Amino acid sequence: MSKNFTALGSIVVFTVFLFPGGPAQAQAQCKLGVPSIKVGVQGVASGPLADYGRQIEMGATLATEEINAAGGVLGCRVEMRFMDDENRAATGVKNTRLLVTDWGANFTVGTDSSGVAMALGPVLAELKRIQFFTHAATQRLTEELVAAKGIKEIVRVSAPIYQDAIVAALLFKDRKDIKRWATIGADYEYGYVAWNLFKETLRKYRPDVEFVGEAWAPFLTLDFSPHIAAVMAQKPDAIFATPWGGEAVQLLRQALIQGVFDNVQVWWQAMGGSVDVLEGIAAEVAKDRFKGKLWATARYIHNWPDTPENKAFVERFRKRWARFPNYSAETTYSAFFIMKAAVEKAQSLDTVRVLGALKGMQIRNPAGVRVFRSEDQQFIYNVPAGRPVIDPKYPIPVLGDLKVFEAKDYYRNPPFTPVAITK
Amino acid sequence: MTETIAFQGLIGLSLAMYLWLISAGLTIIFGVLRILNFAHGSLFMVGAYLAYTFYGQMGLPFGVAILLSLLGTGLLGFVMERGFLSRIYKVDEAYQLLLTFGFILILDDAVKIIWGGVFKIPPIPAFLEGAWPMFGKSFPVYNVFVIAVGLAVAVVLWAVFEKTWWGRIVRATASDREMANAIGVNVPRVFSGVFVLGAMLAALGGAIGIPVRVVAPGIGTAMIIQAFIITVIGGLGNLKGAFLSSLIVGVLSAYGTLFFPVFELFFIFAIMAVVLLVRPQGLFAR
Repeated sequence: MSKNFTALGSIVVFTVFLFPGGPAQAQAQCKLGVPSIKVGVQGVASGPLADYGRQIEMGATLATEEINAAGGVLGCRVEMRFMDDENRAATGVKNTRLLVTDWGANFTVGTDSSGVAMALGPVLAELKRIQFFTHAATQRLTEELVAAKGIKEIVRVSAPIYQDAIVAALLFKDRKDIKRWATIGADYEYGYVAWNLFKETLRKYRPDVEFVGEAWAPFLTLDFSPHIAAVMAQKPDAIFATPWGGEAVQLLRQALIQGVFDNVQVWWQAMGGSVDVLEGIAAEVAKDRFKGKLWATARYIHNWPDTPENKAFVERFRKRWARFPNYSAETTYSAFFIMKAAVEKAQSLDTVRVLGALKGMQIRNPAGVRVFRSEDQQFIYNVPAGRPVIDPKYPIPVLGDLKVFEAKDYYRNPPFTPVAITK
Repeated sequence: MTETIAFQGLIGLSLAMYLWLISAGLTIIFGVLRILNFAHGSLFMVGAYLAYTFYGQMGLPFGVAILLSLLGTGLLGFVMERGFLSRIYKVDEAYQLLLTFGFILILDDAVKIIWGGVFKIPPIPAFLEGAWPMFGKSFPVYNVFVIAVGLAVAVVLWAVFEKTWWGRIVRATASDREMANAIGVNVPRVFSGVFVLGAMLAALGGAIGIPVRVVAPGIGTAMIIQAFIITVIGGLGNLKGAFLSSLIVGVLSAYGTLFFPVFELFFIFAIMAVVLLVRPQGLFAR
């Protein structure tokens, strides 16, 4: 015992003094026999949505630093490389091939766009590499590519479109004063599916509700005035809006100056709980310009759950980046720890063995407990909906008046029935 | 229903004015310099960012911020024209496209380095808050302001080109640069002046919208496609054509959103396709 101890001690002294913090230290101890575990990360890092990719990169960097500082994964150092997918499927595919084939990534993580994610699916199957998806929300990624087509290399850590659409239906089903709904939708698959899922769910509870208007705004819309005027002409009681990021902020501001909040009871801004949106509408929230009628959710909000894990994560993230973590930061950060837990259980980097290790996984993350569902390889967790409010504890608005629904009540369950992906 | 149609038309008019401001500069530059400036949208973006810095960050009055933004973007335009474009007037047009495309990439990355990747949106100036009752609905004062600026620019440009000495020289240079040169017009100086004017118009289009439209990397790309479509419909280099086709596109797309929401995206391209088939020189070309 003592002999071993001395030997171990001398190894530690040797490595610490001769290779302080260097890769050789990890290499010497790595139980997987690799120089490092390579994780390729992708997101949108250019154009108007660049901050979502930046948040992915920040989450990935923080996780990598923390894992390595705590001794790596089975003693192996984690190496991270971030690439910009430019919100284009072709770039995403090219990056994945480069990351896996040339750079030697053992896993990939990230992807903001559903279009990019759908293009990556078959490539991951061909390359036999697992990607942990941390933002792309289309249900088809898990329902169609995993559950129906059996592409097991797709694992989703972030909440899918059920969050954007079904939560809204559950939240407003008991509002008898709202009978007429209209949408100002993102003019691509995400917007169509969110609206279709919302209608389908709400109809089950409220056959009396009418869906009276729709206006669709393509990606990079700068002026929503015609869309707002067009749906308001139908005199809706409530608006279901899916543009996100900066587009959500200008949509809300343009709606305010057209007096929309004097004329509707509720405005659902699906991903309005995103940090960038909350920052963008801070002045209006402070002046109560939305009159308590604006509701939103996100794929994670930094002020929930009220757990020591979450608080500590937010604190470390703010210390490292001087920003609040957006959802794509938390989901990416957590994806790294899910990968770590799975590799440690599998004692291997082999795709099949790591997938086996994910079975039945329940893991505590900043967002709360995530539970792995094998049929569609989707991690299931709750995110509440709420109203943007000013909370003196935070320098920017947060979602308050939180309504928590059990994830099992709003995640669709296998076997999946297809949702229309058209307007 | 009549009220809804009239209101949507007004909304379309304000949409048209943004389109007019950006396509005016594009078409003037093409008309005189014969350069299709792909980076025109980037000048729009730079104008928006500069106005954001002066108004949103430094707290200057909105009008002053817009003026400073025009000056700053005009200066950038001057550097682009004198330092780069002027060197390739004589070579094949493909090089102009490559050079101006290069500027898109450079300026997109530059704004990301300077202002970061997160979009910016400053508060609405107090005098532009609120709405006027029109056709039984609330028409935002902000949209009234945009319409007023757009119309004022149209009048000023008309006066400059039709009524001033400089305008006549520019028109002479546009119709025959060699002849203009022969009678003693300083053509390079005219080119610089026109390019700077075009850059300032783009900047104005970007700057006036910042409190209601976000400022973000990539907004230039969003605008340049629409601006191209408008200049093609109106006739490349034709200022009056750009104004009229901005009105057509702005108002029709607003009505498209109202009556045919499912096909809205397709409208503007359909108009362009029809114009190209029927009158490839543009609707208003002489």
